[in-house]
This record gives sequence, structure tokens and C-alpha cells, in this order.
Amino acid sequence: MLFHTWSFVLFFLIVYPIYLVLKRTRLRLFFSLIVSYFFYGCFHPLYPVLIAYASLVDYLVVVRMEKSSRRKAWLFVSIFNNLALLGFFKYGGFVTDNLNFLLSSLGIPYAIAEPGIILPVGLSFYTLQSMSYTIDFYRGDIEREKSFVAYAAYVSLFPRLLAGPIERAKNLLPQLHTTPRISIPDVTDGLSLFVVGLFKKVALADYMALYVDKVYAAPEQFMSPALILATFLFSWQIYFDFSGYTDMARGLARMMGIRLMLNFNNPYLSTGLGDFWRRWHISLSSWFKDYVYIPLGGNRHGRFKTYRNMFLTMIISGLWHGAAWTFVIWGAVHALGRFLTRELEGTSFYKEKVPRLVKQLFVFAFVTFAWIFFRAGNISDAWLIITRIFGSGLENPNCPVLALVLIFAVWLYQLVYESRIKWVLELRIVRVGIVIAMIIYLAVFAKSSEAPFIYLQF
Amino acid sequence: MILGSHKLLRPCSGQGLAVAGTATNQIPFSSNCVRLSGYEWFIVAVTISALFYFVPKLWEQVEKFRPGSDYRLPYNLSDDYWLFSRYRQWACSDEKTLVIGDSVIWGHYVSEDNTLTHYLNEIAGRDMFVNMGVDGIHPVALAGLLKYYGRDIADKNVILHFNSLWISSEKHDLQIEKEFSFNHPRLVPQFIPNIPCYKASFSVRIKSVIERYISFFSWTSHLKRAYFGNMDLPRWTLEHPYENPLQNITLQLPVSDKYNGNENIPWYEKGVTKQDIQWVATDNSLQWRFFKHSVELLEERGNRVFVLVGPFNEHILNDASLDVYRQMKKKIEAWLQQNNIPYYMPEVLPSSMYRDASHPLGEGYAELARHLFENESFNLCFVAKKANLRYFAE
Repeated sequence: MLFHTWSFVLFFLIVYPIYLVLKRTRLRLFFSLIVSYFFYGCFHPLYPVLIAYASLVDYLVVVRMEKSSRRKAWLFVSIFNNLALLGFFKYGGFVTDNLNFLLSSLGIPYAIAEPGIILPVGLSFYTLQSMSYTIDFYRGDIEREKSFVAYAAYVSLFPRLLAGPIERAKNLLPQLHTTPRISIPDVTDGLSLFVVGLFKKVALADYMALYVDKVYAAPEQFMSPALILATFLFSWQIYFDFSGYTDMARGLARMMGIRLMLNFNNPYLSTGLGDFWRRWHISLSSWFKDYVYIPLGGNRHGRFKTYRNMFLTMIISGLWHGAAWTFVIWGAVHALGRFLTRELEGTSFYKEKVPRLVKQLFVFAFVTFAWIFFRAGNISDAWLIITRIFGSGLENPNCPVLALVLIFAVWLYQLVYESRIKWVLELRIVRVGIVIAMIIYLAVFAKSSEAPFIYLQF
Repeated sequence: MILGSHKLLRPCSGQGLAVAGTATNQIPFSSNCVRLSGYEWFIVAVTISALFYFVPKLWEQVEKFRPGSDYRLPYNLSDDYWLFSRYRQWACSDEKTLVIGDSVIWGHYVSEDNTLTHYLNEIAGRDMFVNMGVDGIHPVALAGLLKYYGRDIADKNVILHFNSLWISSEKHDLQIEKEFSFNHPRLVPQFIPNIPCYKASFSVRIKSVIERYISFFSWTSHLKRAYFGNMDLPRWTLEHPYENPLQNITLQLPVSDKYNGNENIPWYEKGVTKQDIQWVATDNSLQWRFFKHSVELLEERGNRVFVLVGPFNEHILNDASLDVYRQMKKKIEAWLQQNNIPYYMPEVLPSSMYRDASHPLGEGYAELARHLFENESFNLCFVAKKANLRYFAE
């Protein structure tokens, strides 16, 4: 039951009025929890059991931690439990494959059976969110949540359950405890966010996917122009797909009187790679910064350790995205890019002499190059694509011009948004016109889609 | 304060980043300016509603649609229900008799001047009968077509055809559990009663239901079918990457015809042998149940309904299968008699006049038309009052 399907619309049309009726009562949180578990159960009936288990363990860990002098041991229990869940469901196959490869390389005639486990959607997101609660409590940043229902609702809140944003307890839990005062602007703002997200997903991301999937399914059949354009389109596809999901999630939450954090801030207008990570999947970047990079030492122990910490954080981030070496390489490429550009970005030449547009294009080109590893099916495919981009001849790419026009329009919009003439976009006629155009486009031209969000696989 | 913050923010205050633990009223709204107030959403709602209502109506004025004598819906637009509605409007605007059914009425293996309605009109001496056959429409889908896209078929003369082929196996009767792709899934009941082999997702079912009630969506389907080869725009641009999609909207409806002169061959010359058809009993048949619904629906709307059953190609049946078929025909006849529905169950046509199990060839249609005009019930329904018919003059 994905946000852009009619079944979700029906679900929300039923749930929302009841939520509005219950919002001032004690049943509100319990209702939020039940509908979130129902929503999750629509993907698989056992998923609510899994999330209930993950929530219960962390809730009890904090209860014990509060009373115990061995706080670190309890924190370890929480982290171990969450990583074990991730390890079992997400990395089981990856570890088995690599062990089998190692055994066969050593000539040992034994193969470990594939676990054949399907990764539950949203697991990577809610384990991080739940973990942040125990870590924050351990650090003394937050108080213990007294109500299990509230805590379980915090972990499972359906608008953000599948793919974030990864909210911190100190932002979301107080909102869950406060009786939401839902006004008309909350509803209209929520609708605005939802429509933009829906357009990004259905009209743009799923459109780009048609070309990207075709080319990446058989890269050996395509020459340089098609591979470049497919990679370019994938850059935008993943942005539209994930930021579209987030917009819809934030819109739904807002209609429920809950503010979720901004997760994407026009990342392809970044002027540096550091800037990019402050604009792309902000909730994850800040999670890794707070719970991996800084605990590793951050930038406090000299240049070498700073780069080491940065490298480790990016590798872990890559691995979080997917259990495959391509994701590890993707993280490493970003780490390498960050090493190379961090010093450059600090120079007065880069800051003052290089035009902003050049910086933006440079960052976009680098990020797009790195996406090859993210999208390719395996390392050999990624390598094949790179070698063919630089080494194969020219051929008509047959890339839909309309897709490029739509991307250009979005890019232009974002450029204006971050310029001095932003006021043009704030004009009523422009905002209303854009919404009407998006709805009409969705109704008339958009592809009928039930394609899942890319980030659900993580 | 959560609510008060709206008035403090500019329409699209989104610069800067959210930081974990940020007070909720400081969380940026978005990274774009698309933020509408209640009043602005009202404008959007009114504009969209107006567009949804008027665009399909205006389109009817712009897109040329002039069905003439012997017209039938283009084969490629068989599931273009918006066009069916237009055709229905045209047909209902005159004192015509609507001949409704599947490809047997449409004339699957014959040209448009060899169909049943052509021969009926020829005998009648004027354009009295309209070919409203829809290729591949089985009774379950036909019931949906009449219910949702045939709303103004009221107080009309209607000939409704029943093709026994649709109860010739559990699969044809849509009774098997295994999913398979059948014709016109958007017209079948989406939720109740459950059709075992129909496994579409919940969203697809809801979408089908919405399309039935909001003509704008059936109009968008019409655009896809009529101008983009039944593809949505994104897929079409993938196949025509450098073409302007707007240029493809020529406002000229396709006149594609399935007829292929080479197909004018009797069934036995195609190597088809006698068949042991496992008929579904009418008492258990979903298709027959829905055919009865269609008859009842049309009668409720004040139409004068005449049912034409067959003529099925009995030459293709082996003895056992033929026996069952004849018993089944008796049951169908009994129901029609019991409900005082005028009908005609023609005798089987000569074997050489069939293309397959149910489709006559051109000669067969001519023969069938003659038989119909000789049928008493048919004459009582449609002909008796038309004293000036050429048929009688002869």
C-alpha cells in the first residue's frame, strides 16, 4: 500500500476522519499505532510482529538503563539487537555469498546455504530511529518515554515508516504527546506537499525509470550517449523518487498535525560535496554524523583521523543502503571525492573565483558518476558502463526529449528558487498554475504506476 | 506554537536545513514554493472540476466522429469505452435498433459490409439497425458496459446477442482460480461478486471503478487508445523519443479494421477438428448469470429487448458435447419464455458458413438476417409496424 496508489488514498480517507475525531482523546496514540501496524501489515502480515519486537526491546532497554548502573551494557544490548535484526534480514545473503566465495577461493568444497530471507520494508529506517532513542537516552539528551504505546507509535508512525525521514525522539515524541491542533493551513500545507511528492514520483521518477531500466538492464547493448543519458536520468530518478516519497510522508504527517523534518533541499544545486550531504537525505546524513562520525572522533584529532572517520562513515552509509559491494564502492567514491574537494572548497580561489554554476555542475557530475555504482546490478556491470561511457562510440541514444525537458524545467525552477528572483515563484498565479498543471499532467498523461519507491529496497 | 507559525512564515520559507531536535515551528516547510492556502486550493478545486467536466464535452465538439451506415467501433478501440459512449449517444439519438453483443455481432472475420447489421439493414431497406458489437466483450463485461457506459440506452429497441462460447469452459466462464488475462477487465465487477481468476491489485480495481463514474478518466483512456497506440505518454515517448506527442493528436479517429480478406475460409479448412467442449451448466455459470442481468437492466430502463442466441457452430461439437449443448439451449429457452422475453434461437447454419466455433462468415450473416426476418417474434418486435419495409414489399 504505497502512497501513490488508490488503495492508500482509500486507506487515508478512512483513517483520517477517525484520527480527527480521536485527536483530543486518549485513544489518539493507540489509534495511530494500530493503523500504522495495519499499514505495515499490508506488506506482510508478520511485519507488525517484527516492528513490535524491535520497539519493545528498545523500550525495555531504556527502562532498564534508567534504573541500572550498567547503562553501557544496556546500550550494547539495544545496538546489538538492532544490528542483529539488520544483519539477519539485510546482510544474511551478502555475508553468505562472500563466505561461499572465500571458501571456493580457498578450494574448500563446502557452500553455506543461502538464507533466502526477504528484507522487510522500512527495517533499515526504523532500526536507526529506534537506536537513536536508546543512544540519546544513554547520552542524557532525552528523557525516558513512559508510555510504550507512544514509543511504539514513534517507531511505526505510518507516514514515515517505510523510508523515513529518520526522526529523532526529541523532535517526534513531544509532538505525539501533544494534542495536535490541526488547522486548515495544516491540511492545505499537507496537500501541497503531497501533490508535489506525487508528481515527483508518478510523473517524473517513474518516467525516468523507463529509460534507465532499459539501458541498465543490458548495458552491453548501449553506446556512450545512451549510457550517459541513462545515468543522468537515474540521478534525477532517484532524487524524484526519494524526495517525492518524503514530500508525501511529510504532507500526510502535517495533515495529522505532525511536523517531520526536511529531508531534501535541492541537492543538485550543491556547490560542494559537503554541501550535497547537507541537502541529500538530510535525516540519514545527520544520523550518521551524530551516531557514527562524531563518536569516531569527528574532525577533532587532526587531518588524517578526520579523513579516516569520514571514510568509515561513508563506507558504513554505503553498506546501509544495500548489501552489495557496489554500495560500498559508492560510499568509498563519495569519501574519496570528499577528501579531494574538502581542501579545494576551503580555498579562497574556489570560494570567490569559481562561478556558482560551475561548482554546481561539477558536484552534479561527480554525484552522477557515483550513482553508476549505486544503480548497476554488480561491480562488473558498473565497470562495463564506465568503460563504455569513455570507450565506446557514438550512437543515437533514443532518449525521450520530453524527459529531458521535464528535468530541465525542474532544474530551472530550483535555480530560480535559490536566486534573487525567487519572488516570481511566490506569485499566487504561479503557485496555483503549477499545482493545476501538475494535477492535469498526472490525470491525463502520467503512467499508471504502482512501481515501488527505490528506497524501499534499503 | 505549531499553528501560529504559518502566518509567520513566507509562502515558501525553506532555506536552511532542519537539524535534529529543532523546534517544530522552525522546521522548514519545503524546498520549493508550492504552498497553497485554503482559498488557493479552492481555486484549484474549482478549476480542476471545471476542466474535468468540460474538457471531454469540448473534445466531442473538436474530434470528428461521424458514424455512417455499417459503422462499427474500430477494432483497436474495442476497450475505448468513452468512444462507445459517444457512439451510444449517436445511436440513441435516432429511432434505431441497437444490436449489442460481442465479436459475433461486430463481425470479427468479415468486412463491415458483411456483418449481421448490414444484412438486416439491407433487408429492411434503410439504416434501421446499428452495429454496437464490441470485440471480445463477454457477458460479465457486457453487463458492466451497459450499466456504466450505456446509461442512456432507454426506451429503445435492443437486440442482445448471447454467444454460448462464453460458457464453453470454466475458463471462458471466468471460474478458474488461476489468473489469466481476459478481455475487458475494467468492466467486470471489481469487488463483489468475486471473479476467481481476476487478481488485479486493490488500486487497479479502485481505478477502474473511478473511471466508470468520472468521464474525464475514460476520456484520458480514449486519448491513449486513439492516438498513442494504447500506451501512456511516457511509454509512447520511449518508442518515439524525438516526436512531439501533441502532433500525434490528429483528431482523426482510427478506422482500423480487423478484417482480413484471407480469413474468409470455413473452419474445417483451417484444420480445426471436432471438439469435446466441457460446457458449464447455466445454473452455475457466471457468464449466463450476468447475461440475465443485462437483459433485466435493459428492460428496467424501458427498452424492448429481443435476445438472439447463437447460432453456435454445432458442426464443430462431438456427439457428447452436442447433447449437452442442446440441453443447455433448452434451459436458456425456458428462462426466456418464463420471463416473456422475445427471442430467437436459429437453427445451426450450414457448416461452410462458419469461420470457427461461433463466428459466421459473410454468407452466414446474410442467412441469419433472412432467418431473423422470417421469425415471428422478431417481426412482432421490430418489423410489423414498419409496413414500408422493402422485405415485405418483395
